[in-house]
Amino acid sequence: MNLTVYPLLALLTLLGIVLFPLGFLLWRLLTAWSARRITRHFVWLYGQGWRWIVSPFVHFRLEGLEKASLRQPCIMVVNHLSYFDTYCMAALPFHNAAFAVRSWPFKMIWYSAFMHLARYLNVEGTDWSVVAEQASRELADGGCLVFFPEGHRSRDGKMRRFHSGAFKLAIDTGVPLVPLCVAGTDVLLPPGSFRLHPARVHLRALPAIDPRQFPEMLGHLHMRKTVREMMARNVAEMTAANV
Amino acid sequence: MTDREIIETINKAMQDEFELSPGAMRPEAQLTTDLGLDSLDFVDMVIVLQNAFHMKIRDEKAIREIRTLGDIHQFVLNKHRELAAKSDQTTTDNRGPTT
Repeated sequence: MNLTVYPLLALLTLLGIVLFPLGFLLWRLLTAWSARRITRHFVWLYGQGWRWIVSPFVHFRLEGLEKASLRQPCIMVVNHLSYFDTYCMAALPFHNAAFAVRSWPFKMIWYSAFMHLARYLNVEGTDWSVVAEQASRELADGGCLVFFPEGHRSRDGKMRRFHSGAFKLAIDTGVPLVPLCVAGTDVLLPPGSFRLHPARVHLRALPAIDPRQFPEMLGHLHMRKTVREMMARNVAEMTAANV
Repeated sequence: MTDREIIETINKAMQDEFELSPGAMRPEAQLTTDLGLDSLDFVDMVIVLQNAFHMKIRDEKAIREIRTLGDIHQFVLNKHRELAAKSDQTTTDNRGPTT
């Protein structure tokens, strides 16, 4: 598996970087899309390529990710188990999603241009008021935001504490929040290891949560706790079913 | 409220609102690196403390200098003593001069 996936992934990445400028120009001519939307589309296609490469070794099970059940704009919160969780976002039924990420991908040479062109949110290296403004604009344009509220990958499979950003944004903008539970990516690529293993990856989008259910002061903390408990229950159940 | 009760109230409020484990509640714990709090949590923390102790906390120098859980304990203890002293003063003033 490792001897197949890694070389093909390296080839896909290289081809993606080399062919992106041409594809970008072509998409610009053929569609009226903005630069960020075109870049996000290519990132999504890259994720589709990754899914195709790993498909002989990974069984994907998707729940609640049908186009009809996921309405935009929305704020998605995803638990984080593995480096490949972001690649799994290619399973979303739309490509126009802005990832809220830490600052390191913005500093990596082969990622940086794409991160900036796609206008992803740098939640670590930017003042929150700036992030919130950019995020609100994305939502007003009908886009979707994807947060990994744990901030880091879980090292032991247990869900870490959540940061508040996504929940505060949902309360402030009134946009629904969709919890997306991921199980099995830590088997595919455990944290701290480069060795891939065949796995069953299960993605389950829970019903959207209306932030108006939390009208009290510090409602975002209440919402954060409620969503975390809900996700922890689902991930535990999905993990047990995967074994 | 005794100092011990104040510290216990702070720790409980912090644990409940920020989902921190009881074992992490050491006075020397750094709020950012050890407890994982971020800038948004700092804003919320002020409101949590205000609610827990029914007192107003303004944007003052002492709150901006908080780095550890022990700093929060000290800040609230000082604030509590300050308010108690003010309350005593008001009571004395209201009684007026004794003859």
